[in-house]
Amino acid sequence: MTTLLLRAWSQYLRLTTHWPSIGTLVPFIPLIVAWWIVTELQVFPRAFLPGPAEVVRSFGSLVYTGVLPEYLQDSLVRLAVGSFWGIALGIPLGILVGLSQRAHKALWPLLLFFQAIGDIAWLPILVIWFGYGLTTMTVVIVYTVIFPVVLNTVLGVRSIPITMHRAALSLGASRIRMLWEVVLPGALPNIMTGLRNGLGYGWRALIATEIIVGTSGIGFLMFDARRAGSVVEILLGMIILGTLWYIVDSWILAPIERATGQRWGLVTK
Amino acid sequence: MKSLTIRNLSKTYFDVHAGANVTAVRDLSLEVPAGEFVSIVGPSGCGKTTLLNMIAGFIPHTGGEILVGGRPVKGPGPDRGVVFQSFALFPWRTVLDNVAFGPKMRGVGRAEREKIALEYLELAKLSEAAGRYPNELSGGMQQRVGVVRALANDPDVLLMDEPFASVDAQTRMTLQEELTRIWEQKRPTVIFITHDVAEAVFLGNRVVALSKGRVLEEIAVDLPRPRVWDDLNEDDRFKALSGRVLQLVRSA
Repeated sequence: MTTLLLRAWSQYLRLTTHWPSIGTLVPFIPLIVAWWIVTELQVFPRAFLPGPAEVVRSFGSLVYTGVLPEYLQDSLVRLAVGSFWGIALGIPLGILVGLSQRAHKALWPLLLFFQAIGDIAWLPILVIWFGYGLTTMTVVIVYTVIFPVVLNTVLGVRSIPITMHRAALSLGASRIRMLWEVVLPGALPNIMTGLRNGLGYGWRALIATEIIVGTSGIGFLMFDARRAGSVVEILLGMIILGTLWYIVDSWILAPIERATGQRWGLVTK
Repeated sequence: MKSLTIRNLSKTYFDVHAGANVTAVRDLSLEVPAGEFVSIVGPSGCGKTTLLNMIAGFIPHTGGEILVGGRPVKGPGPDRGVVFQSFALFPWRTVLDNVAFGPKMRGVGRAEREKIALEYLELAKLSEAAGRYPNELSGGMQQRVGVVRALANDPDVLLMDEPFASVDAQTRMTLQEELTRIWEQKRPTVIFITHDVAEAVFLGNRVVALSKGRVLEEIAVDLPRPRVWDDLNEDDRFKALSGRVLQLVRSA
């Protein structure tokens, strides 16, 4: 019996090495089965907790009517625009604060102060300033993304051993080239951590913002469904959030980390 | 390759923890002709690493002067190659790109600088490792890369700060033999910092013993080259020289 189980386990490991996506999907099977059983047994009224089949059906009809693709696109564009600016501003700022004692003294208390005022706490004043639109959402996402990126970049820059700077200087690197040749790659593993946190927080902030000020998007879909009393669509929205984040992480962030920090031995696998 | 002249060099700094001025190097003078290999030994705290860091330009000196080929040292520069105890290879660059880094900073084109790098890797018997990343190499191999990376930039003076202190004993002997071989081929001016007396005598044309930031004594090493451990281990002159240097260092 034990040998049989072990053999099955080794088969499974071999299978997931060849097809990593199977390894991703398998942990969800018991979860979905449990969900299905609970709804079939009518533990809760159907209107409160619909089953997997109904959610799939709702997914089909929302795709068919074009609502879901449109909302999805709106959410992703907002996240992309906000993240782009968060990264474009955050990395240079982090490098500046990480390298310069003076910039660190001047900016660090401000960074900590504003980090504490959470993204959503800005919404009331942003709505007054910019109204219900893309500007408000972009500002919230940039604001959310930028802090983890800056703080982790600072950490990364400061963790580069001094001998690394000295080696480059004594090989003839100018101060400017040091940025590209030593500071940026040396800080990259931490910058990736910052990006991972930043994008994760940004994604959550986006949904919250859409719920409060949105007129489209996944967050709006969920909030609108609540108004209509459609638990199916709320569940669908939640599943989409989790799935999308998994895709961003495993298709974009993880491959970058494998090709950089892990390859260089700066981060353990 | 150029000469190195150190005149009345001193370094005083304020130690925050002790709350007082500390003199790490005082009134130190040393003349190293072009192409000479000088070993500097001394107990920890004698100022040898501070001395090397000042020659490299990593830290400023507070008195006297350092001249490389007659020109005063102001900050780090490619005229002084440095080999670090911690190797300090760039983990994000392959072995080939690490060695080609200096030429790249000089503006040498890709094909040319890779040719230079491969030539030096061959010199250290590292051609096989060219495409690998430093973290995939053993400590001994990493330091071979460290040495040829500094040499490939064709420095006037090569500064080595206890470069073999963090590799195992057998590898260290191999690296020492390889370094003498490479030195005989390229004849760079070398300042080699170590606390290992046998290593200092094995490698140097001259051994300078430091104590409390000053030159205690200089001892010429007139052992024939090429030097290999199998010959020198039982050599009476080697033993006598090592014994004398050891005595000096212990009295320091």
